[in-house]
Amino acid sequence: MKRSGWQWLAASSLLIGAIAAGGETRPRYGGTLRIEMSAAPASLDPAEGNVPDSFGRRNITALIFDTLVKFDDAARPEPVLADSWQAAGQELRLHLRRDVKFHDGSAMTPESVAASLRLENPAWKVTAEPESVSIQNDLAEDGLLAELALPRNAIVKRDSGKLNGTGPFRIVDWKAGERLSLAADENCWRGRPFLDAIEIEMGKSYRDQMTALQLGRADLVEIAAGQVRHTDQRSMASSKPIELIALWFAKGPSSPEENALRSTLSLSVDRTAIRDVLLQGTGETAGSILPNWMSGYGFVFSAKADLVRARQLRGQISPAPSWKIGYSPDDPLDRLLAERIALNARDAGLFLQTTSTPSADLRIAHLPLESGPWSSLGQIADQIGAPLAKEHGSLEELYAAERTVLASGRIIPLLQLPVSYAAFAGLQNWAVRPDATLNLENAWMESGAQ
Amino acid sequence: MSFRRKLLIVFSLTVVLSVAGVALAVLALTRRAFEKNEEQQTTALITQFQREFERRGADVAQRVERIAGLDVVLRMAAAGHATSVDSAQYLDFARSVGESWQLDFLEFLDENGKIISSEQSPAKFGYPDAAFESLSRLNQQPAFLKLEELQDSSALGLFAVRATRVGDHPVYVVGGRKLDKNFLSGLDLPPGMRVLLYENRTDHFSPESLLDPGAGKNEASSAEKLAPLISGVQHSGREMAGLVKWSSDPADEEVFHAIPLRGTGGERPLLGILMIGNSRAAYADLKRRIRDSALMVGGAGIFLAILLSSWAAARVTRPVERLAQAAQDVAGGDWNARVEVKGHDEIAQLADAFNRMTSELLAHKERLVQTERVAAWRELARRLAHELKNPLFPLQLTVENLVKARTQNPEMFEEVFRESSSTLLAEISNLKGIIGRFSEFSKMPQPQLQMVPVNETVRGVAQLFQAQLQAPGRKAIACRLELDEKVGSIDADPELLHRAISNLVLNAMDAMPEGGTLTLRTRLDGGQAIIEVADTGSGMTPEECARIFTPYYTSKQHGTGLGLAIVQSVVSDHGGRISVKSEAGRGSTFVIELPVERRSPQRTHGEAPENSG
Repeated sequence: MKRSGWQWLAASSLLIGAIAAGGETRPRYGGTLRIEMSAAPASLDPAEGNVPDSFGRRNITALIFDTLVKFDDAARPEPVLADSWQAAGQELRLHLRRDVKFHDGSAMTPESVAASLRLENPAWKVTAEPESVSIQNDLAEDGLLAELALPRNAIVKRDSGKLNGTGPFRIVDWKAGERLSLAADENCWRGRPFLDAIEIEMGKSYRDQMTALQLGRADLVEIAAGQVRHTDQRSMASSKPIELIALWFAKGPSSPEENALRSTLSLSVDRTAIRDVLLQGTGETAGSILPNWMSGYGFVFSAKADLVRARQLRGQISPAPSWKIGYSPDDPLDRLLAERIALNARDAGLFLQTTSTPSADLRIAHLPLESGPWSSLGQIADQIGAPLAKEHGSLEELYAAERTVLASGRIIPLLQLPVSYAAFAGLQNWAVRPDATLNLENAWMESGAQ
Repeated sequence: MSFRRKLLIVFSLTVVLSVAGVALAVLALTRRAFEKNEEQQTTALITQFQREFERRGADVAQRVERIAGLDVVLRMAAAGHATSVDSAQYLDFARSVGESWQLDFLEFLDENGKIISSEQSPAKFGYPDAAFESLSRLNQQPAFLKLEELQDSSALGLFAVRATRVGDHPVYVVGGRKLDKNFLSGLDLPPGMRVLLYENRTDHFSPESLLDPGAGKNEASSAEKLAPLISGVQHSGREMAGLVKWSSDPADEEVFHAIPLRGTGGERPLLGILMIGNSRAAYADLKRRIRDSALMVGGAGIFLAILLSSWAAARVTRPVERLAQAAQDVAGGDWNARVEVKGHDEIAQLADAFNRMTSELLAHKERLVQTERVAAWRELARRLAHELKNPLFPLQLTVENLVKARTQNPEMFEEVFRESSSTLLAEISNLKGIIGRFSEFSKMPQPQLQMVPVNETVRGVAQLFQAQLQAPGRKAIACRLELDEKVGSIDADPELLHRAISNLVLNAMDAMPEGGTLTLRTRLDGGQAIIEVADTGSGMTPEECARIFTPYYTSKQHGTGLGLAIVQSVVSDHGGRISVKSEAGRGSTFVIELPVERRSPQRTHGEAPENSG
């Protein structure tokens, strides 16, 4: 009896604990989520071409607007506002989801969808049909679906400058580049979100964001690569590597010797030490522009330092170059990177002088890769001044294109970094997608968390 | 230059030289005093710097020691003992600890000297510290100077090394503070002094390496002026001093003492140069004041010299000037000139002597005039007696013949009476002539000046005497005219001039009883019209020449001695002068010099003729 009594007591305790735990993990409605971010977009319109694409902007767009389709983690297209589609030749017909309403209460119609797409893609021939829209252009089906999944092709109803979307949150207040207030859309076609509202503060540095989180002034913030190690891993989430840190030369090499010197510099950089110490183990060393998870062939490009080979190359070229390596004065990590690279380069016989002024021969560049392999590579190629011949293609063509960009001698990949977020412990069921956008559709806040 | 001016210059020079001498002496003494004071201040400042250096060094060493004793450093050493220290874990450690402990430099090195964490060069993790070998030896030693190599520069600092050991595996803590402007600003400096620090990064001078807490906008250009001194210390390695002129204003001059600061180790490398500057503004100000005072005193002295010289002139030069004026008056003929005698000094004695001298001269002159007057009267009496004796003797004989004829030959008396009457009348007429000439000489008229052509006058005289020169019964005299046509008219009395030349012609005719040549010559000499009358007679002795113009003197048997005296009188009244050149046996030449332009006759009244023989 005594034994069974203890057993009953233990069983009762476990049951009560399980019930209590189950109560805490049950989603609840309500609460205002406070987010701080570094991006400071001047416009919320997805079609605004002057606002650079970034995961920060995507985060905002995803909260307010929906696209017709999206891609899952396995890069398969999924229906969103379009519940099905058929391709016929150069034409793609998308059947629209029924009973979807914009935030102003008006119904989403083929005409409103067609108008939105026409504004965003003037070259496309978009036709509104009963319960569907038809798009004609020179893209293949996969390419067109990928385009439609981009945030800039989100469906927007523009009414005298006012933007209405179909996303889970509607705009309440917007101060360009500073603050955005969103409220839950009670009539969202996906159902009302758990959160009542979201307050977003923009243009905040990583340090300020972390301070705000620690002081309880923010619930969800971005964290710098160097802070990942010091952050509680249980309330942190990271994307796949979607930012490339690279050395970016202002001009192409003027001679084969200079090209060899740039190769010398690449071989001299100890990327592993930089990642392990300066980035506190965050990210991956990179010899390629596109991360391996995105391209599948990234491992082919070596990222290992080879000081012996670097010195050999340096020894073959007599005049000692003197380069200035620039860094952003606002980013302490950039300065450390520049100083470390200068030290590594000195080991190989190259002299680099660090500078925070714009007049540098090369600089530490942070290149976003969240637009997808072809788009990201295309943007880099455009900056180099050698646009890619194609915007989409096979893996082999992507590999060849990347080889071409690297052969320009303008860019030396160093590291590929993920985007990391930290949240207060009461924020539940939030996630980070591979492209670094936040998934807050089903996020909720524990009671008494604020 | 007047005596008064000389006196003024002498006084002024004396005052200026005295003041200048005093000023220079004061300046030299002041300079010496300032240099001594400057040396004392510099020595005190060096001592203070060393004391501050030691104090801050001890402070740095204490902080480093405390850091080395931190648990986290112990754990760092323990981790090194187990495997190897993870630099990633300590990336910001040195910075945060360094900031907490207010150290500008802080590095943690493992047992091999590799940097685990660095405050000043966080990116240098894993790299060995270049100075580790010497640093490891300095464990537990007092603070030392070290030139820390930074990413693109270097900085001078006070460093200390302490080690924390776990087993045989130490972690070296190398901490330090910058010797920067703040360090220099913290030194308590006397007024007018300042301290600069030069970081000896390279062998040559670099303006950027000079730390000046009070540097303004022109730091680099100002620093260049210190380059020679710094370069001197760099090359010699010894303490040096030099004067730096920041501008043309002496108040901006500064004396700098450059003191080498050396690091540790056998070679004791030159890491920095302490520049102690001592402004010379106070010295320049004092020098300026001394100069101003000297100028003021000199000016006052010169003013005083003027007053003194005026006073001295009143006492000394004025009597001398009066004496000089009196002497000039005497030279001008005022024999009654006298100088007032005041006091009993040398000037008074001189004035008294002058007065006595003029009195003596006047008395002597009066005696001479009296003597000459007596001689003239005697000569006049002799000449009158001589002149009157000649006609009186025939008169006496004639009257005696009349008396004798009346008594002895009454029949012949009538005839003798007629003859004697004519003789008596003739001789009486002769006596009247003699008396008339004397009367004429005494009544010489004043010349009535008018423009008179000289050559025409000379020709007139020659023409007048032409007949007499060729008269029968006497030897012929040739007359030759050598007239310069450039000689024009002069202001003269034509009558008197004609008479003077005529007298000279008569005189020449008398000098040539055996015939000869009479030459009348005119010419211009300067502002004078020259008239010469020359004969080829027997000539005169020098004694005769000397007395020839004396009235009533004559060398002829029947002359009155008034002819040449009249000529001299006429010439003198015309403002000219007459002279004679004669040689015995070769004739005489009388030279009349008359001014072409009119002069007051009175001014030449006393001029004496010149004779040359």
